[in-house]
Amino acid sequence: MSAFVLTAIAMLVGIIPCGIVLCRGTLMDALVAYEAISSIMVMVLVLLAQGFQRPGEFELPVVLAVLLLGSGLVFVWALERWL
Amino acid sequence: MSARDISADVLLGLAAAVVLASCLGLVMMRDVYTRLHYLTPISLVAPVLVAVAVGVRMGLRENTAETWLALLVLAIVGPYLTHATIRAARVREKGDWRPGSSRQPGERRRPAGGGAAAAGATGPVSGGAPGRGEEAQ
Repeated sequence: MSAFVLTAIAMLVGIIPCGIVLCRGTLMDALVAYEAISSIMVMVLVLLAQGFQRPGEFELPVVLAVLLLGSGLVFVWALERWL
Repeated sequence: MSARDISADVLLGLAAAVVLASCLGLVMMRDVYTRLHYLTPISLVAPVLVAVAVGVRMGLRENTAETWLALLVLAIVGPYLTHATIRAARVREKGDWRPGSSRQPGERRRPAGGGAAAAGATGPVSGGAPGRGEEAQ
């Protein structure tokens, strides 16, 4: 198991406290936890693609990183105006 | 094990430590403003460490460039999203993001032109879903 995979596993452990905030916090706290989880997942996908040497899986973190902006702004916009 | 491998492993370990410490900070803080401080290391510091580690370990290859692209987008998007989240939290709390505003939460911003449009704009948000200010009235 390479260092990339081990780092990805360690980062996945960090999602647990973010999940606690997501489930138990207020709406804005949940949004912060969601943004943290999304950022961690981009890095985890990069590390797994590097660790397993799968060139075809490098597009996934790029797309997720771009979608992170759109989805985050949609949530922020909705929370600011309606929710 | 070469010096490049060791330095890449150290950088990856640092990135994992930054993420884990920031996640613990995220869960231990009380309000959204202090929690947002711990979002920046996750979205800015750790991606830079991972990008440097990948560059050190793999060298200049196509996969490295794609990794850098993903992490560059993440590093650009992170602070922008953090700022938008702070703004939304303040609007939800105070009604406006600017300091010293007297607007209530859910109240629409007064247009610069004034007149009848301004008079109608001082009320709660109308149209679509009800605003937060309407619930209290």
